[in-house]
Amino acid sequence: MKRPLLSLFAFFAATLAASAQPAFEAPPPTTAPVLDAQQRRAEYLHRVDEVLTWAAGGGNAKTDDPAKLDLAMIAAKIVRGEDLPGCSQRVIALMKEPGTGPFWMFPSVCIAYLGRDRLTPEALASIRTAWRTTRQLRGDTENHWAMYYLSLYLMAELYPNEPAETWYSGKSSAENLAEARSYLVHWMDLATTVGQGEFNPTNYIGEYVMPLQFLANWAKDPEMKQRGTMMLDWFFAELAVSTLNGVLRGPNSRADEGSVIERWQAMASYFSWLLFGNTPPTAGYSGWGLYFAPLAKNYELPEVIYRIATDRTDDYLQRDRARVRRFWRYSDELSPPVYKTNYVRKDYAVGSTTGGRMDPIQAHVWDVSWAEGDPRGKHSTMFSLHPHSAPEAMMATFVTYPEPMIKGVTFEGKPSYDSPDKTLGCSPYERVFQDLDTVIALYDIPAGTRFPHINGFFSKDLLNVTEDKSGWIFAQGGRAYLAYRPLAGYEWIKYLHYTTGWAKTRLDLGDRLLTSPHLKNGTIVQAASVSEFKDFAAFQAAINALPLTFKLEPTPSVQFTSLRGKKITFTYDQTPVVDGRAIDYSKWKLFEGPYLNAEIGGRKLTLTHGKLERVLDFNTLKITDRVK
Amino acid sequence: MMKIKSLLLSCALGTLLTGFASLQAADATAPAHDIYLCATISKNYVIGSKLVTNSGVYRRDAEGAFQHFGVNFPFVLNIAFDPRDRRRCYAVCINGVLQSTDGGVTWGIGNSWDMTEAKDVCIDPNLPDHVYLALPDGVAVTTDRGATWVRQEKGLPERGKYTQTIRVDRTKAGRVFAGCEAGIYLTENGAKSWCRVFPASQTVTDIQQSPHDPKLWYATTQAEGLQVSRDGGATWRKVAAIPTAEAIYNIAFDPTDARRAAISSWVYGVFTTEDGGQTWVERNVGLPADHTAFRVGIDPGNGRLFVSLYREAMLTSDDFGRSWRGVASLEGATVYNYVFVPKPAP
Repeated sequence: MKRPLLSLFAFFAATLAASAQPAFEAPPPTTAPVLDAQQRRAEYLHRVDEVLTWAAGGGNAKTDDPAKLDLAMIAAKIVRGEDLPGCSQRVIALMKEPGTGPFWMFPSVCIAYLGRDRLTPEALASIRTAWRTTRQLRGDTENHWAMYYLSLYLMAELYPNEPAETWYSGKSSAENLAEARSYLVHWMDLATTVGQGEFNPTNYIGEYVMPLQFLANWAKDPEMKQRGTMMLDWFFAELAVSTLNGVLRGPNSRADEGSVIERWQAMASYFSWLLFGNTPPTAGYSGWGLYFAPLAKNYELPEVIYRIATDRTDDYLQRDRARVRRFWRYSDELSPPVYKTNYVRKDYAVGSTTGGRMDPIQAHVWDVSWAEGDPRGKHSTMFSLHPHSAPEAMMATFVTYPEPMIKGVTFEGKPSYDSPDKTLGCSPYERVFQDLDTVIALYDIPAGTRFPHINGFFSKDLLNVTEDKSGWIFAQGGRAYLAYRPLAGYEWIKYLHYTTGWAKTRLDLGDRLLTSPHLKNGTIVQAASVSEFKDFAAFQAAINALPLTFKLEPTPSVQFTSLRGKKITFTYDQTPVVDGRAIDYSKWKLFEGPYLNAEIGGRKLTLTHGKLERVLDFNTLKITDRVK
Repeated sequence: MMKIKSLLLSCALGTLLTGFASLQAADATAPAHDIYLCATISKNYVIGSKLVTNSGVYRRDAEGAFQHFGVNFPFVLNIAFDPRDRRRCYAVCINGVLQSTDGGVTWGIGNSWDMTEAKDVCIDPNLPDHVYLALPDGVAVTTDRGATWVRQEKGLPERGKYTQTIRVDRTKAGRVFAGCEAGIYLTENGAKSWCRVFPASQTVTDIQQSPHDPKLWYATTQAEGLQVSRDGGATWRKVAAIPTAEAIYNIAFDPTDARRAAISSWVYGVFTTEDGGQTWVERNVGLPADHTAFRVGIDPGNGRLFVSLYREAMLTSDDFGRSWRGVASLEGATVYNYVFVPKPAP
């Protein structure tokens, strides 16, 4: 299995010369784990170099004209030692028009640190001046605050002992440092005791791990440096366990249409490619992802995380907790718990939360998604949802009046929010239960609700979609057989896709929606591997033989014996029962599965793969590795 | 949307310019008040964007035009000035509370990370060192002119204390009303304890005290329409003429005429009363069909009525809403608050 490094490098060098973004344009990488540590490291470093080469060469701008460099390109040039005078001049120019919040703060911190010994004093001073003159918005989400305070912390450490009037905040270096540290410790405490609010984000993972990487590298305070290192491992461990062939699956606190329909189309895939090498990178390395590259060579991915990410030999079930972002109002709890289930097999993955309210705009509640040899352009997923759109949902999490948020959000990067045929979002009228590769989603939508129907997503990449007289709809996705059972009448409509958050028009990509205009409703999905059956017909026969009874009035309720022999009773708003035993969510741990384990309130995550074990203990701020 | 654009176009090209000129002519005598607008003009601004336009606070200059004042910040919702020294001011925004002691030349963030997205600020005119802050998770108070901010929430409910608006009774130090999700809460002791004087099913959006009769208060709400109190806020009753199905955003008294007041509502537009609240009349002729009225304000110098349309424009009326015309230089603005401050003595 060990490959000659020299030839590997020669191959990479050739591809770098031949193509602007080689891995994006090349055939998909193998998903087989690289067992040799030296080779794995070499391949990782080469991927880092690919990103740096692309960014230093002008990235999406496709020019190395210094006048057109952005901060990511400058960062790449600095670490490569290229055109430092030009970089200095460009920094000075860019600092004349600084941004206004965390998305500007962490790139400018990146340049301030990388450029310490390389940029001109004038360039460094221009960054410092911008941090005095331009008011910085803290934002209103968890990722905003992480970026804001990680950036503020590092800048305050970089410029200690400076008075209040030299900072945009009107606070001294010491005051800024103390406030930032206080928040960061608070946030890490929350994340390691009751979970992330923005759990498993498809794109926002970058907004956390990039400034955390800065903290891990540049913090002077050894405690904060260690916290940065440990949180990086924490995030990447979650990514590893939630991916199949590098593609993030299952529920997400925050996603977008692109990453829900085409699951690979997410910044998470960029990090999987970079760290695990088992999926292609996204176009332009997801833009923001470029900021991870300048320091990426300093990061050593723990082998246990790599193994968790790449070993799909055995099926596994991971049950975890997270929390909802802050509900300022319309809720009895500030941050209710989220219960996540992910069941991952070689050919497909099934993941869910229990439904209800989460992020008001961007939540993705459940799906069955299958592996594809090349995930690019593939819509390898199946799910249903109630397309909820309501002022109260917005007002719960945003400090807004009832009407303007819905109007505003549709032209602020979330164009589908108020669309009846959307495929993104959660609903207070959805309840979900998952047992292994069986999902039951029930809906009880009050009369008068905007968009009084449910949507089921049927991918263009499904094969042999068959509407059986039994009521089941059978299909094949990759090497997964899928059975979808709508519990009420439906019709088919085209799914029209917003290609970006700023798109004004929608495209027909060939997908369909099963739309069902019944307020009391439901969906059952049962997945199985192709390898489990002689043929498609045998799968259908097996599904049709499964005992199923359901009723929709007065409350949707299902009794179903799954393909795995589990007798499931699930009624809307009632505790699910499996084989006569009620599911007790109160006993769920923060992480529980073969790979990740942590107690609620424990501040300690244990990562396990085979004989490898790594413990991230935030109580003692110690990392312990052992081979059992 | 087209109707709004047409309205703005006609305002911008015709009526607005001449109207604005006549607005100045009508102000031949120097106004006794400064007008400050808390406004965001960055349409399509999202967190992290470059600020391509000025937002934050605007002040009307001697020529009647609005000039940017102080910090360029997209979401400043209200600003309060110390009555003893106008150079000391407090502006609430997404970061919390911005404070200046030099008339807006320099600003600092007054709060730490545990306070965010402040909604309203109010100075006690009888104890100007005491300033009250409305937060999405309660109320904070400073008693040392912003040096420290402390939570003061005894009596507020654990859930339901989302506080949209906060207002001090000018007749008694330490008597303050907080408009929360669960209703209107009153403190008589400078926020040491609160008690509910009006239960609401959804958020109370604005509370105002009449400049003519300190016992008269109005409160706008999201689900209980317009509420009035004629006993200093002890009891409240619904104003029957105002519908309750949709939210009312704010109310403004006319300091020049005790009989007049106006309310804004995204859905209902503008309602006015000119008989002390006995009757209320829709004043939406000239507003776009979908209204989107975000905030009304009344100039204490001349009774001129202003309305802000969400992210579109600010309009003004010299006949108390019977007709409207645009205000130059604020196209695309959302005005969160009109703040009228007596001019300092020469």
